[in-house]
Amino acid sequence: MPAPADGLSAPAERLRSPDADRRVGETWTEAPHPVLVVDRHGGLLRINEAARHLLPAAVSGDWLHERVPAWLADAHQRISDGLRRTSAGPLTGIINDRLFEAHPTEAGDGDVVWWLADETERREAETALGNAQRRSEILSEVSSALLSTLNVPRCMEVAASMAAEHLAEAAVLVAPPQGRRYALTYARQGGPTTQVTRRVDISGVPGLSEALQGFPPVPARWINPDDIPDWVIPHDFAAPVGSVIVAPLPGHGVPAGALILLRSSTERAFTEGEEIFARLFAARAGAALSAARLYSEQAAITATLMRELLPPKLGSVHGVEYGGGYRAAKEQERVGGDFYDVHPGADTTEETLVVLGDVAGKGLEAAVLTGKIRNTLHALLPLAGDHQHLLDLLNSALLTSHHTRFVTLVLASVRRHAGRVRIRLTSAGHPAPLVVRADGSVTEVPARGSLVGVLPRVKATTVEVVLAPGESCLLYTDGITEARGGPLGDELFGERRLRRALADCAGMPAEAVVERVQMLVGQWLGPARHDDMATVAITAPRSAPAVVAGGHPRGRTRPRSRGQDSRRTP
Amino acid sequence: MTNKTPAEFTLIIFPEPTTLTVRISGELDYDTSEDFVHVVVRHLAEHPRPHDVHLDFHELTWIDSTGLSALLMIHRHTRAADATLHLDNRPPVLDRILLVTNVLDHLTTPHHTRAHPSGRPANDDITGTGSF
Repeated sequence: MPAPADGLSAPAERLRSPDADRRVGETWTEAPHPVLVVDRHGGLLRINEAARHLLPAAVSGDWLHERVPAWLADAHQRISDGLRRTSAGPLTGIINDRLFEAHPTEAGDGDVVWWLADETERREAETALGNAQRRSEILSEVSSALLSTLNVPRCMEVAASMAAEHLAEAAVLVAPPQGRRYALTYARQGGPTTQVTRRVDISGVPGLSEALQGFPPVPARWINPDDIPDWVIPHDFAAPVGSVIVAPLPGHGVPAGALILLRSSTERAFTEGEEIFARLFAARAGAALSAARLYSEQAAITATLMRELLPPKLGSVHGVEYGGGYRAAKEQERVGGDFYDVHPGADTTEETLVVLGDVAGKGLEAAVLTGKIRNTLHALLPLAGDHQHLLDLLNSALLTSHHTRFVTLVLASVRRHAGRVRIRLTSAGHPAPLVVRADGSVTEVPARGSLVGVLPRVKATTVEVVLAPGESCLLYTDGITEARGGPLGDELFGERRLRRALADCAGMPAEAVVERVQMLVGQWLGPARHDDMATVAITAPRSAPAVVAGGHPRGRTRPRSRGQDSRRTP
Repeated sequence: MTNKTPAEFTLIIFPEPTTLTVRISGELDYDTSEDFVHVVVRHLAEHPRPHDVHLDFHELTWIDSTGLSALLMIHRHTRAADATLHLDNRPPVLDRILLVTNVLDHLTTPHHTRAHPSGRPANDDITGTGSF
């Protein structure tokens, strides 16, 4: 800092004065910052070497206001007029395109020494840091907003609207084509987001088809805004387009789409920094979008499979009542290794085939094998008259060297005749069906056989049972008898309890029998996990129904029936 | 012997020149069956060809359909290795599932008296018996 003024002054002196050196010190002329010594009238007394660099035209004796911008000359005037104190702190302004902080100090006799500090780089660094902080905040906001949804349209909407809010005036998100149509999401800053699917010519937008294939973006300066086709521009985007960025949305392996950012000609063009930021934004949006897309595809596949694998609704068929209940081992899953189907006979004189089975294993893997078995049995329906033959064919269809997963099942061919229900029952390695008589007695049907799908041959015996009105036959899987729970929590429900439960079901309709069994087992179950559980009740109704209708939606193939290969029951 | 199964399921292997004995204790079910098959098959391959494989179920507390599926798979391997499978000390829970599914004879009939069933083991470490 300069030495304080000593009071010897030459007020209006414009010439080089040794006094000035004495007043402000000797070293200031070599200071790395520009320094100006100005008298109270605004006359430039002295300038140092750095100031000469900044203001090449300035020499001692010039008027300050002729050499420096008004902000500095005016400030000097206010100090000279006593309107501003030098202790009030520095001022900031631009001189020759650079930003300076001007620190005034008094040099006595009204002279003021202006020390100018170049703040350009510091200010740029501060701005860059601020931008970087803001962008990283935006990116984290983008990620959390996008990852909070796994719904693809919602994800596109959020991505487009955030792009319009933070990156451009308008944004258009182009999803990968489905057929020849593109899902387009338009967003405008402060405006609504709209989604349309339409056929558009993407080759009209420079770099778009490349971006949709995942290639790196074309630099914004290479895209002529005049070349942008109308479909890219949102309806309410009034001004002509001034600058454009096309950024790919990188997905997991496959591109998730492309983002087009638009700025009107009245706004400044995209800077290189903004272009880089747009790419970072696109990377986050692409990751979120492809996650959402993968999830949606998997969910759709699962839903499709589930529809095929879910147990059917049962009802009354040809004067016989059927009730079915199913509970999968894993509570969150609706399918598993147990299954049942009722394939209605072509008419009342034909047998209806009931199948209830259990595939070794649990969950989706078991459900897929279950689906295969159900389809195979469906195809073999014309041969359902001979249970042994049916089981042999199913057995050879399932045999594989890859695993020993097997199925146990019960086949029941049911026909109502003269008010009674005749059932031919065959068990292939499955728990024997139970029959509850009208008097409440419960008997086991002595049908036995070997499991299906592993052994070279299936050995099975067929037993015939006749139900009088009000009597039921219960087919069940071992998930029922092996349900663990009870007062001690680890006891099996067991066949004895099942028989006792069934004894109370004499005279009940089929659906009520199934519901009662399921309810009792459900109450028995402890916190331990359980296996899949399936039950089917076949009941001879107490009063003969007038109409035979309802039942299973699947038709039964009857090659020999007149003019019609298959039929559907209503 | 296995280290990934729950504490209550253990396998103890006794390899002898012509006999492989495996003592199974605990629950043989959905969670433990895969390890069971791997361990037995590995010993079948490492061991000098046993004539007999004894599975000792004295301490078996539970078996489900996946456990039975595992026994059927082990049987495929013992048959391919020309050995006879023995299911020893069967508790009621095992007898019951073998009875209902009707596979006891299939599993325990000495291999040379039986026609060769159609399935082949998936494990290439095991060479076939050459029957057929």
